[in-house]
Amino acid sequence: MNEHIVKKGFDINLAGRPGDALVDLVRPKVVAVCPLEFAGVKQRLTVQEGDKVARGAVLIEDKRDGEFKLRAPGGGTVKAIVRGYRRFVERIEIELDENEDVERFKSYSRDELEKADADEILSQLRSSGYLAFLRQRPFCRMADISVKPKSIFVNAMNTGPFQVDPNVVVGDDPEAFQAGISALTRLTDGKVNLCVGADVSDKLKGVAGADIHVFKGPHPAGNTSVHISRVDPMKPTDIVWTVKAADLVLIGRMLLDGILPEKRIVAVGGTRIGKDGRKHYRVRIGASVESLVADHLQEGESRFLNGDVLSGEMIEKDGYLRLGQSSLTVIAEDHERRFLGWTDPGFKLFSYSRSFVSTWMGAWSKEWSHGSSRNGGERAMVLTGYYDRVMPMDILVDFLVRAVLANDTDEAIRLGILETAPEDFALCDFICPSKMEIQEVIRHGLEMIEEEGI
Amino acid sequence: MKFLLKLNDQLRKHFDKGGKLEKIEPIFDAGDTFLFTPPTVTKKGAHVRDAIDIKRVMITVIYAVLPCFLFGVWNAGHQYNLATPGSPEGAVADIIRGLIIVLPIVFVSYAVGGFWEVLFACVRKHEINEGLLVTGLFFPLILPPTIPLWQVAVGVTFGVVVGKEIFGGTGMNIVNPALMSRAFLFFAYSQQMVGNVWVRTASGVDAVTGATPLGVLLNLPEGGNAAEAMGAAGYSLKQMLIGNMPGSIGETSTIACAIGAVVLLTTGIASWRIMLSCVLGLLGAGLLANIFGSSPASQLPAYYHLAMGGFAFGAVFMTTDPVSGAATNTGKWIYGSMIGVLIIIVRLINPAFPEGVMLSILFMNIVAPLIDHYVVEFHIRRRMRRG
Repeated sequence: MNEHIVKKGFDINLAGRPGDALVDLVRPKVVAVCPLEFAGVKQRLTVQEGDKVARGAVLIEDKRDGEFKLRAPGGGTVKAIVRGYRRFVERIEIELDENEDVERFKSYSRDELEKADADEILSQLRSSGYLAFLRQRPFCRMADISVKPKSIFVNAMNTGPFQVDPNVVVGDDPEAFQAGISALTRLTDGKVNLCVGADVSDKLKGVAGADIHVFKGPHPAGNTSVHISRVDPMKPTDIVWTVKAADLVLIGRMLLDGILPEKRIVAVGGTRIGKDGRKHYRVRIGASVESLVADHLQEGESRFLNGDVLSGEMIEKDGYLRLGQSSLTVIAEDHERRFLGWTDPGFKLFSYSRSFVSTWMGAWSKEWSHGSSRNGGERAMVLTGYYDRVMPMDILVDFLVRAVLANDTDEAIRLGILETAPEDFALCDFICPSKMEIQEVIRHGLEMIEEEGI
Repeated sequence: MKFLLKLNDQLRKHFDKGGKLEKIEPIFDAGDTFLFTPPTVTKKGAHVRDAIDIKRVMITVIYAVLPCFLFGVWNAGHQYNLATPGSPEGAVADIIRGLIIVLPIVFVSYAVGGFWEVLFACVRKHEINEGLLVTGLFFPLILPPTIPLWQVAVGVTFGVVVGKEIFGGTGMNIVNPALMSRAFLFFAYSQQMVGNVWVRTASGVDAVTGATPLGVLLNLPEGGNAAEAMGAAGYSLKQMLIGNMPGSIGETSTIACAIGAVVLLTTGIASWRIMLSCVLGLLGAGLLANIFGSSPASQLPAYYHLAMGGFAFGAVFMTTDPVSGAATNTGKWIYGSMIGVLIIIVRLINPAFPEGVMLSILFMNIVAPLIDHYVVEFHIRRRMRRG
């Protein structure tokens, strides 16, 4: 077991942390699939409204890669197909039957997995749609199975507020997690690196087949990019696969049972959720957001996030959980205007900078509840070097951002953009006094490079 | 406050797209966000944001420079009253006289600089940048109190338009706009920029022009002792630290600048690397001059240079401008220490100028991107070797 200390970074001590408790939710009547979650998939719809489908039945095929399929998370009747921008299918709603039909894949025992053929496993992952859980660096997109990765990184950490607790998820189904790791070892000639936090549970630590790395330090110590840069740094031509522990549990369960798992664990947090509601839930995949928060939602305008507050994606309150969603955060929309705010000494404001009184009074260690206010107007970018204070990787953030803004992709690659994911720059977004969208800049840069090819 | 907020909302429609006053929307926006923090919420990226914004950064810099400003007001009045026979005595009289001298200069600087900033913001359709608040106050503080107001207007125009806006505005300028303004005046109207301040000579308080400490140093005769000559001219080290002596409005007091430095460093707004390396560069070069220098001027104890001329003000407020300075950490060390070294070179070796702070900083402003370029190249090469 190797230990890595991450010094740079910052923990935003946001109020509304989900507790460790794990509870079951009642079975919903409707589940949905949101195909736009799978970026890059060219949709070919294979069902119509009113069709009967089994859990695991094909809903959408990828026109480019006919083997990749999106499947139904529950058995029942296709109730609605909602189309959006350019007639993309935004959502397929399925009304669940009392007794769901199930479509079966090949099932493996753990021993079989340890000897299984890589192509066979990959083919099943592709066909079940669960390949979407395997991400690849560079570009942070679905793994390209035509290339064998140099190594695979499993992320079992949650330093961002409020990601699902891997100890809870793996602790709930250690067998599936072990199966997932065993399958991964077949997919690479290199190592499978399991990265865990200091609070790692014995169940997580006891897993066989992977090198375990313990990371200590503030966020983003839990980000996969940091793990890769410390354990096995990438060259621009390297391919590394990454997967989150919570997703690997689903992969493992699917391979063991040969059917798509029914449920996954979702952490629900945020100040807009009542204290009793902030915990981990075992929910049907694709259940409605409403079903998760209904009993605990507080008054007022709220923002619902798939993921954490730093790099999550906004979803609608009347929407549905995504397949890859392991946390739901609900924060307040904050349009408040403070009178002469620039004169405020800042007793109640939270900042990474030391120019507020609160910072001197220990605000960093106190819980802080804040909404979606941008806290200021957008200004020109100033090369300050501030960002580097929260970037534990060997990356000059200012210059990388500037290279992307100037569309200088060569320079961006030389500065290391391919090693990063947009989420690594979330804290830069947070602390930026010019209120820049650094994550968006990096995302754009990665897309640009992928389009051009390297 | 509700009333003001309502009034703002009513007025806003005239400035919004399609409104009558759409073209001057940045003016409304500046006033609006001056009164109330903006209601904007995040859309992409991190959904919660730090409380800090550029307004906060700039206002902190203003707080930091206030001691210099206040002391400058008193000192300008004090020096005027000393040099003008028959003027009243006492701190109150000094402050009133100082306000009469300084406020018009600050007003002109803000008004003319503000005009250009607003004009460019309206044409470019971006928000008015708070950087103006800083430039508009720094510029008067590095001017002699005797400066004609029209020169203030011309200077700030040149600094803001040629020094900043033609490059694209705040964040894209190469050199510090306030220093650019001063450099323009320095070379265009040098008579008013050097020497012509109220100076008390050893014989009395009647002279209009006289030597500043750096002038004494420049004109030191062969075989003279620099520190003694300076003391003879009426400038002791203590006086230069306190700053009750002639000079540009805000930069005479080393102590006031030091208070500013404390504010900037504790709040983390300015780079401690630049400030420290600047001081170390100056002291290091001064010590080298002490050891190897042959001229009498070079024998001046190195620490004297810290208190002399515009060094303290320049090192605290001018070098640390994040836009025009170096951005990489290594670059900051090189940038700051080179400024310190260059100042000593100009002060001791260059016969043309007594003071080198402004020119050293401007020169290093121009070199800063090059320094960063090499630091970044070095970083990239190290990254390539890794892995």
